Amino acid sequence: MMSTNAKVTIEETRIQETAKHGIGKLNKSIENEYCEVKAENLNFFYGPVQALFNVTVKVQEKGVAALIGPSGCGKSTFLRVLNRMNDLIPGTRLEGKVKIHGKNIYAPNTDVVNLRKKVGMVFQHPNPFPKSIFDNIAYGPRIDGLKNKTALTEIVENSLKGAALWDEVKDRLNEPALALSGGQQQRLCIARALAVKPRILLMDEPTSAIDPIATQRIEDLVRNLCNDYTIIIVTHNMQQAARISDNTGFFLQGEMIEWGTTSNIFTNPQDKRTEDYITGRFG
Amino acid sequence: MKAEVLKQGIAVKKHKTSEWHSYELVGFWALRLTLVLVLFILGIIVFDIVSKGAGVINWEFLTQPPRVGMTEGGIFPAIVGTFYVTLITIAFAVPLGVGAAIYLNEYAVQGKFTRLVRMSVRNLAGVPSIVFGLFGMAVFVKIFGFGPSLIAAGFTLGLLTLPVTVTASEEALRTVPRAYREGSFALGATRWQVVRTVVLPRAIPGILTGTILGLARAAGETAPILATGAAFFLPHLPDSIRSQFMALPYHLFIMSTQHHAISQVRPIAYGTALILLVLVCLLNLAAVLLRKRYRERVAKGL
Amino acid sequence: MTAITEKAMRTIFTLCGLAIILFLVGILYILFSNSMPGLTELGIGPFFAADRWNPGAYGEPTYSLLNMIYGTLMVTLGALIFAVPTGVAAAAYLAEIASPWEREVFKPIVEVLAGVPSVVLGFFGLVVLAPLIARTFNLNSGLTALNGAILVGIMALPTIITLAEDAITAVPKEYRHASLALGGTRWQTIWKITIPAAFSGITASAMLGMGRAIGETMTVLMVTGNMVARPESFLDSVRTLSAGIAIDIGDVVFNSTHFHALFVAGLLLFLITFLVNLLADILIQRKPEVNK
Repeated sequence: MMSTNAKVTIEETRIQETAKHGIGKLNKSIENEYCEVKAENLNFFYGPVQALFNVTVKVQEKGVAALIGPSGCGKSTFLRVLNRMNDLIPGTRLEGKVKIHGKNIYAPNTDVVNLRKKVGMVFQHPNPFPKSIFDNIAYGPRIDGLKNKTALTEIVENSLKGAALWDEVKDRLNEPALALSGGQQQRLCIARALAVKPRILLMDEPTSAIDPIATQRIEDLVRNLCNDYTIIIVTHNMQQAARISDNTGFFLQGEMIEWGTTSNIFTNPQDKRTEDYITGRFG
Repeated sequence: MKAEVLKQGIAVKKHKTSEWHSYELVGFWALRLTLVLVLFILGIIVFDIVSKGAGVINWEFLTQPPRVGMTEGGIFPAIVGTFYVTLITIAFAVPLGVGAAIYLNEYAVQGKFTRLVRMSVRNLAGVPSIVFGLFGMAVFVKIFGFGPSLIAAGFTLGLLTLPVTVTASEEALRTVPRAYREGSFALGATRWQVVRTVVLPRAIPGILTGTILGLARAAGETAPILATGAAFFLPHLPDSIRSQFMALPYHLFIMSTQHHAISQVRPIAYGTALILLVLVCLLNLAAVLLRKRYRERVAKGL
Repeated sequence: MTAITEKAMRTIFTLCGLAIILFLVGILYILFSNSMPGLTELGIGPFFAADRWNPGAYGEPTYSLLNMIYGTLMVTLGALIFAVPTGVAAAAYLAEIASPWEREVFKPIVEVLAGVPSVVLGFFGLVVLAPLIARTFNLNSGLTALNGAILVGIMALPTIITLAEDAITAVPKEYRHASLALGGTRWQTIWKITIPAAFSGITASAMLGMGRAIGETMTVLMVTGNMVARPESFLDSVRTLSAGIAIDIGDVVFNSTHFHALFVAGLLLFLITFLVNLLADILIQRKPEVNK
């Protein structure tokens, strides 16, 4: 938590700066700065339809960044840009740069498979494979070529512990993953992503399909994980964003309207539209 | 617009309600009777063949070759021949059919080319079986030089079954939820890894169902094997894929139309028809049951 | 290593897809290339001349397909006259009136009917239907176009029932509800709304049934008597194109004129069924609509 707090301070300074000088100036100042995830002037198209407009954002290492906005605003599209999942949809096109750890992930020589191993993803609906709990977690290491049973067992145990699921399932690792409850399935999916040893975790509305108690557990888990991983989470639930994130970005109609520390976005939004959205929801 | 059409359609005739009601009742029964007629026809066919064929079937009939100019003995070589030729059919049609389905559903960008492939599948399904026979004779028997043989007939039947396999496999692949593929891709799997580890295991029961349906069709076909390898009578079982063979449907054909003592061998023909019918029905039943179990499993989300 | 596997698998699967197209084109090519020598040697005329198919005749063999075309037409039309109304009525019943358990029972039975091998149906026609027809119409032999038409109709029934039922089920519920709400009875709704709305799908089912009927070989081979004379009525023996090929295919001399003439018949058969299926395909692609 220490490091996060330290960063928050930097962010706050930056936001105040933004308030003074506007986004353009800020962009110049971060141009060559190294950071975990950086998008510059990003435009994204589904065929003829533009889904993202000139999105520029940088996410620092560790901590939780939340993306909020009304549905269809492009936040999920942006998330899927970061591990190139949009590649799977035919007819999509991207302009601009996305850098992860300083490397443009849309450069022609990018190894997408490696990228996805480094940038894990958890989906809106828990999607464990119709295999045993063990085989689900071991899936990633196995396709990587790991066959050693002891090593696999170790990875499975560590990943499940990391996702706070170990105690619940350690006696039934060979049972089908689909027999777990929705919340457990989602934590299984997180564990499955951890098993590949990513540095960044993308979460696409991970709690929208599960009950409040399970949601609570996942939020706790996210807070714990953000000490070791950079987490970018899309959520339609503003309270959730307020509860768990360090930074928040507000998307509207494909544009990133505002980006800043969560406390600033929620208590002192700079943009009228952000304010409308937030106050509208809170009533 | 819709209401207008409806008004025209109903053209409100002035009937009393009760009159309409009896009309409707008669109409419903007329439709019901047509369906019953269809079932009745099937019933008669099955009854005739079962009642006259059952008496012929015994252990000897199933395990002995024909004797005395095919007027006595069993149909063992025909059963074996049909078994062998369907094995080759599967070996030809299943890898190719599943491969094409994987291409269409997992690899290809949907567009002109995939439309062309799918159109070809549908048209291949409509090609008359005797035309497959001509093709098999010209290509497998002559050009490839297989001669009339198990392999030439098996390949010909394989071509004929291919549309069934492709269609069924594609349907099976389509039932695999996209979430599984996404989950796998997100973990850094390559496309082939996704297909091999997540998609195929899920789709295999459906593919199997389609395979069995195609097999049932191939086992009952006669026209494609007339000139590609089926033999009137062979004194021994086929010993290689280059041998000619006896087959159940072809045996039934010759026993009922080509034999020199047709009325004398009629019981054998009935027995052969019954065995063929039972074989094909069992295969179909297996496919239907498999599909039912598979759908239940899918419905449960397992 | 993974990259190589990946590339190899993609290539293999693409080739499988390509193979399907090549097979269809290959069939067309083989039919063409093997009928060309016949067509160049004889010209097209003799295949449609008024004489008979008699390739074995000593001295002057003749290759007219005309009577076989008549035979195919008679059997096909006869089959459709019987099978289309029956099939559509059965489909309407299954789709609109039948209770769920009736559907549960009847639909697999229709599938079983589809699975009966054509040679078994032919056998049934030979030993049961033919004597019956002979007795009824006082004929020497019941091996007639009528017999073929009935059996081919039975063969086409499952195709028609299944596809017509799909077409009827695909009609949007709103049409039915609107009709019922306007005071139409269920009976009126079926005949005036649902069936007309499913018309293109039902026509497609009839076309595909027709495709099957035209190409059907073993059944007609066994039950129509196979005379190549010009048929006068449904009680005459006929030979269809498909049966004609099947009869000669076993002992034709490779690369003889007779051989090439068989491929001309095959090509004709292929083109006819291809067109019929194509038309059905176009009809199926159309969305259900209310035809006036």
